[in-house]
Amino acid sequence: MKFSVKKLALCAILAALALGLSTLESLFPVSLAVPLPGVKLGLANIVTVFALYVLGPVEALAILVTRCLLGGLFSGTATALVFSLLGGLCAMGVMILLQRSRRLSVYGVSIGGAAAHNAGQILAAVITLGNTMVVGYLPFLLAVALATGSLTGFVVSLLLRATAHLHLNNQSDNR
Amino acid sequence: MRSNSSPAKTRPTPWDALVVAAVVLLGALTALLFYGPKAHADAPLTCVVSVGGQVADAAPLASFSGEHTYSHNGYTLTVFVHDGQVEVLHSDCPGQDCVRSGAISRAGQSLVCLPAQVVIHLEGAVDGPDVIVG
Repeated sequence: MKFSVKKLALCAILAALALGLSTLESLFPVSLAVPLPGVKLGLANIVTVFALYVLGPVEALAILVTRCLLGGLFSGTATALVFSLLGGLCAMGVMILLQRSRRLSVYGVSIGGAAAHNAGQILAAVITLGNTMVVGYLPFLLAVALATGSLTGFVVSLLLRATAHLHLNNQSDNR
Repeated sequence: MRSNSSPAKTRPTPWDALVVAAVVLLGALTALLFYGPKAHADAPLTCVVSVGGQVADAAPLASFSGEHTYSHNGYTLTVFVHDGQVEVLHSDCPGQDCVRSGAISRAGQSLVCLPAQVVIHLEGAVDGPDVIVG
């Protein structure tokens, strides 16, 4: 996979943006409004979905891993890294599969991604705690994922429409 | 090999409902599994007493009140159940750890007397997560 300079720069900007967004949302804990620990808006997922559509799966995955590794480095906790990486990779895998189906819109893809993200985090919790009882927490997280996934889908659909004239993926089109 | 040659759909399609339905179904299934009629979540707190590795008594705490005695390995324990609590009132074991453990009242807690090989365990409502990270 060749990364042109333009694409590399775009990936770096998007990774920085995702990192900034995830730091930003940690300043406004949604868990205060929704009494569920660990609930997040998932603002960084906007970048992942956007990258998936505009650049492609490989680039989106590179941005995601960069974001998780740097985020884990900055927060300094290995557990946070495991949680975000497992959640992120689950979300990425599901979204890549869903996006291949041409019938789904941005909304379907991002809702599926948000749900997979939560499932991945529960998986990480089961691994770190060694207790399957946390799975009982999944229904609540999935309900939240429907809302946050829709929000992500809405923002990405606006972004895609707004940036359609920029032809961000122009240079890298191999055809 | 780029898969985004066709324009991305930015408006919801009926197929998106399928994804929503799948998520709801998954949530409902896990909810049913953990909070459904079969799960212990709704079951009352149950006191399980095992003596020498074998279950001697298993009864809902509410209908188990009063004093119960268990003898094993030459030791005798007096267990007192009252007001949703279980405590070892008296034991003739040398350590007296079980007596000093005090009363237990929540699912997952247990009282253990090693010399007499008596384990009193409370089972019932699903315990919340111990810790939330991230």
